[in-house]
Amino acid sequence: MIRENTSSKEIQGKQYWKSLDDLADTPGFRSWVNQEFPEGASLMDGVQRRGFLKVMAASFGLAGLGMTGCRRPEHAILPHGKSPEELIPGIPAFYSSARPSSAGFIPVIVESHDGRPTKIEGNPSFASSGGSTDIYTQASVLDLYDPDRAQGCFINRSETKEAESSSSWKKHSSADITESLSKIENLGQVAVLANHSSSVIRNSLFSQLQDKGVKIFNFEAVDLLNPEKNLAKMLGAEKSLRTFPDFSNAKKVLSLDSDFLGNREPNSCTNTKQFMQGRKIHSPKDSKRMNRLYSVESDLTITGGVADHRLRLSSSEIEGFTALILINLLQSSGNQDKKLLEHLFELSRGFESHEKWAQECANDLLINPKQSLVIAGSHLPGSVHLLTYKINQTLGNQNTCLQYLEVNHTAGNLASLCESLENKEIDTLLFIGGNPVYHCPSVEWTDLLKSVSSTYRLGSAIDETSQICDFHIGQSHFLECWDLGETWIHDTYVPTQPLLAPLFDTLSDLEILSSLFGNIKKSYDIVKEYYESNADISDNFEDFLKIGVANTKPSTLKTLPDADSAILKIKKRKFELSESSLEVLLTPDFHTWDGQFSNNGWMMECPHPITKLTWDNAILISPVLAKKLEAKYPELGLLPDSTMLNKNGQIAPDTAVFKDGKQKAPIVILDVGDHHQISAPLYVQPGLADYTVVSTIGQGRSRVGRVGSGTGFNTCSLLHSDANRISSGASIKPTGEFHILANVQEHWSMEGRAIVRETNAKYYAEHEDFAQHMGSESHSPPMWGKDQGASLAVKASTTPRGNSAYEHPDHTYEHSETFGRHQWGMSIDLNQCTGCSACVVACQSENNIPIVGKDQVLRGREMHWMRLDRYFSSEERKGAELPSDVQVSFQGVACMHCETAPCESVCPVNATVHDEEGLNAMAYNRCVGTRYCANNCPYKVRRFNFFDWNKRDTDELYKGPLGEKNDSLVDMGKNPDVTVRMRGVMEKCTYCVQRIQESKIRVKVNAQRKAKLATGKDGADFTLEEKDLKVPDGTIKTACQQVCPSDAIAFGDLSDPESVVSKLKNNPRDYSVLGYLNTRPRTTFLAKVRNPNPNMPDYNKKPHAYREYSDKAYPAKKDKSKMESQSY
Amino acid sequence: MRNIFPRWTNTIPVKIIVALSFIGGAVTAGITYYATPKYTRVGYQPTQPVEYNHEFHAGQLGLDCRYCHSGVDTSSHANVPGANTCMSCHKNVKANSPLLEPIRNSYYGEDTNKDGQLSEDEDLNGDGLLSAGPSVPWVRIHKTPDYVYFNHAIHVNRGISCVECHGRIDQMEVVHHAEPLSMSFCLECHRNPEKSLRPMEEVTNLAWHAPHQEGESHDLAQIHAGLQIKENWGVNPPLSCTGCHR
Repeated sequence: MIRENTSSKEIQGKQYWKSLDDLADTPGFRSWVNQEFPEGASLMDGVQRRGFLKVMAASFGLAGLGMTGCRRPEHAILPHGKSPEELIPGIPAFYSSARPSSAGFIPVIVESHDGRPTKIEGNPSFASSGGSTDIYTQASVLDLYDPDRAQGCFINRSETKEAESSSSWKKHSSADITESLSKIENLGQVAVLANHSSSVIRNSLFSQLQDKGVKIFNFEAVDLLNPEKNLAKMLGAEKSLRTFPDFSNAKKVLSLDSDFLGNREPNSCTNTKQFMQGRKIHSPKDSKRMNRLYSVESDLTITGGVADHRLRLSSSEIEGFTALILINLLQSSGNQDKKLLEHLFELSRGFESHEKWAQECANDLLINPKQSLVIAGSHLPGSVHLLTYKINQTLGNQNTCLQYLEVNHTAGNLASLCESLENKEIDTLLFIGGNPVYHCPSVEWTDLLKSVSSTYRLGSAIDETSQICDFHIGQSHFLECWDLGETWIHDTYVPTQPLLAPLFDTLSDLEILSSLFGNIKKSYDIVKEYYESNADISDNFEDFLKIGVANTKPSTLKTLPDADSAILKIKKRKFELSESSLEVLLTPDFHTWDGQFSNNGWMMECPHPITKLTWDNAILISPVLAKKLEAKYPELGLLPDSTMLNKNGQIAPDTAVFKDGKQKAPIVILDVGDHHQISAPLYVQPGLADYTVVSTIGQGRSRVGRVGSGTGFNTCSLLHSDANRISSGASIKPTGEFHILANVQEHWSMEGRAIVRETNAKYYAEHEDFAQHMGSESHSPPMWGKDQGASLAVKASTTPRGNSAYEHPDHTYEHSETFGRHQWGMSIDLNQCTGCSACVVACQSENNIPIVGKDQVLRGREMHWMRLDRYFSSEERKGAELPSDVQVSFQGVACMHCETAPCESVCPVNATVHDEEGLNAMAYNRCVGTRYCANNCPYKVRRFNFFDWNKRDTDELYKGPLGEKNDSLVDMGKNPDVTVRMRGVMEKCTYCVQRIQESKIRVKVNAQRKAKLATGKDGADFTLEEKDLKVPDGTIKTACQQVCPSDAIAFGDLSDPESVVSKLKNNPRDYSVLGYLNTRPRTTFLAKVRNPNPNMPDYNKKPHAYREYSDKAYPAKKDKSKMESQSY
Repeated sequence: MRNIFPRWTNTIPVKIIVALSFIGGAVTAGITYYATPKYTRVGYQPTQPVEYNHEFHAGQLGLDCRYCHSGVDTSSHANVPGANTCMSCHKNVKANSPLLEPIRNSYYGEDTNKDGQLSEDEDLNGDGLLSAGPSVPWVRIHKTPDYVYFNHAIHVNRGISCVECHGRIDQMEVVHHAEPLSMSFCLECHRNPEKSLRPMEEVTNLAWHAPHQEGESHDLAQIHAGLQIKENWGVNPPLSCTGCHR
């Protein structure tokens, strides 16, 4: 931990002249006056005031008009008074820490430059996620530097305290708050409403407080604890039962509306790592051991995108379908319990049409005994979790693929808090984390709190909940305070270690809670004390912090309670689905989670993986429903041509709805019978269950910082009081208004080009080189010509001309002054990519990529260097109708670093050129902004700085130099190893050149020192071999590669035939996007392989994308193939 | 009709053209001379808050550069030493010199009685930690633009002496900017590293010259030595943008 040094505070800002008076104070200025005005300077000795002023006026005049503009500003170098031992200026320090999330603590390693955290990576010592992180952890570092966070503690001076009103706040000292909390005498009248936390210290403080009579309540809008509580309730177990899946052994997985690879389920990073390892293939023989994913879901999630078989069902229908699966399993395994079967038949009535699907799926699950896994979404009712529990029990998956943890929850829920408030049992109320006032608009907060004499709110920013409280206590970011917690599956203790002292006068939750005991302590002392009284965590505190994880044994359930009697108690739910009785599913928002990332620009601007929307949420509806709504309300303007396909039958949204990335979406009112209604724009999304509409919680906040204000739509009124997120009986009414959505990808299909190449495992087993027979280059003249057979190293380092008439410049050692010791290249495995988008934010964090705001995204000016293209493909098209069943393919696209780069040849000023090691370099200081390069780039990866994004807030952009500069707080989080780009220059992916150079330098320095030590010579006469100076494979990880939980990205040296990336590129699955343009990109892709089950009713020999491609490429065959659509 | 313009005006256009070309030439020459770092930066010699004498410390006393600039061979950045480095000698030598007041302030900070302990009345900010004082605001002399990422470690370890960019610091009482540090200055050396390469031992020996034989010039001796080092160490300084610009 770095203790804040008062002297280091001054280092944090660059010193520029703020005014001439500042300048005049410096000795440098006085000496300058001396030099330029020798006569005037002599006057200054013992002059009168009048004479002095005259001279100074003249100097100031000259200084302002003349020379100062030419002088470089004077910088001060401010070293420490006492240099901290471990800190070498210019070398980043790395500390272990952990991000507290509602799904447990996430172990991280934080990079710190001169005491400022700049980048978060996963902790590689935590084996189950192995150095990768999820997207929110990547973005969380930005929250530390959020100018809108609560910069201290405040007292609310408003007369009326209502969520909607804007209160007037006055700064208050944090010491006074802890002081007054420590003086509370009657703890029996104190209540705490907190969000869920896996902090072992917070939970132990809670139980100690409960012993003293304090009432503890827990509320989460997106309650990941629901399944474990419900399952325990149904089984009659005392403690909650948390399902802890282990995908690494699972050969067959059935996901029941569970987005276990995405953001909606806990532990997505570990799940992705384990699950996607089972899909890694290197040769055709691997296709046999590839795992298979069945997904039954209501919304199209990225998990559904990965699935080999996907069935669209509403969330309410999942229960019946699960029963159907269970029947098939029980029957196949010879269970004769008639009573149980009859009850299950009753539950599954009405699902006869899916009988075949369920039967084949169940058979497939049974093929791999103890190696399958069925997992249900956390929003589903307890009955589904109970049936899933029984299914896994029948399959014998316990201990191999899943375990059950016993977790104890003692906190009360929101309803019991309301009850206590109504009974006037509470005198002091503390809100810790969360945002209950925003999430529960149906609770009459103002009335309930009338009897409470003081309310405190601990939160990172002043929000809706703060409005009804007397005090707002600024919450320290997790990089500013100490804590100790557990991971989601309780197998590891992780320390939260601060990297800097709190930037503002803020407190942590532990500091607040411990002050209730009457003693005011710093979070470090609390953690140290707890650690020392619990000897079983680890042997040594210092070592624990160094590694950042300490293993522990989770209390798993050994004998499983019997589920049969509980199943018999499940009552069949009655529901009706039609266009006038819709099911509404609320999911946590991709951008903001439950609203906590509302003011995080990286998250808001990161496109949703499936819809590709930024800065907004919408009501997603299925194409079937869209068509019905269109018929009912012709003026809705949803589908002007009653189709979303263009004249050629290509899946492309209509131009009337889409123009220049601006999507005009009708705002509708979604009316839910039993409680409330919301209004939000409609967005048609293929892949949804016909009568399920999906929207997200976490947007449309009324009291939020500058980034989040005015974005999205508030849907919290549809949230049930028990945090159930499924409603039924909803209907949609148009309002006649429209909303512009910022969608970054209008095109859904590949328009017949083989951009993403994919096939099925069976076909792959026979045709290893299938990717080579797709796309134009498979039948265009061979670009490598006579050099086709050359090795990858030769191809990369010499750029053979093939059959081209033109010669390329020769950069080989023999023929050039300079030579590249390495040849960098990247390989992206499309089979591994789930579309989680963590790479997009990781790249943004590493490379100082600015946030541009919704208005600029609408103009197509987003700056992400890495984008994830999402393509849909469908089985067959009925005329011009939008398909409902789609397959999803993702493709990460960044600069390809083409060998024969089209951008380089058009730059008039040589600002973008090739370097010796194959990087397509971009010299910002040389760029004049003609944008020819972006125009000529076939991959559309170049980004132009239309404004000074980094200098000004998004609403000040158009004022240019007259606009106000933004808060310098955000500058503290910038990576000092990467240039902050200015207006008017082009930028793009650099393969993280700063990391490459850093590693090269480190290798050379080490080699030099080692050789000197080994030989003992003076340094001139030892010899260094080439191998000593080469960066070992795997040393350099690009930001996107490092974060990727499924290891989809490999980066390395192509001139080394043994490097991982060289081997991947020699795999027959390897192909170049738009290879026929002869750009010879250094980034190539490994074609995707799906693994469908031939017995399934929806089985196709080849993926839909293949058909789309062949339909377009060979239109003559199209009609024929349509007739025998199953045989392509 | 009489001529409006007298005869002598006929030569005016030619004269103007000639004059303009002279002016243009002069402006171009002026800018190339006066507006380059060679003129604007070389010789820059600001007054420092403490009159540290490099000629005395590095020259006469023979302190190695790395005694104070300790990070230079490991980091991209050649750090200016903290006050503790100065005080390791000046606790005893010239311990009460008024010239060293800013250094002492920075070093002792809250510890006003200089006993190494924090007493209650010394803890001004009340954090219970012994804080150092304000930094000594040394004025930066050598600075590359923000978009240039110069790395000291790689140069110092690969046989490029401090003297190549900073000049004979050991002979400067007050340090001044000795070399232009412009892009052409960098490239000059990156193109012909043999003119500057020297054994690792001699990197901080600013007075070093390659040992030369009878009748051989200094420069020639350097080039011979440099070429051998370049060959032995596999030195290939980057000439493309990515070497310095990121």
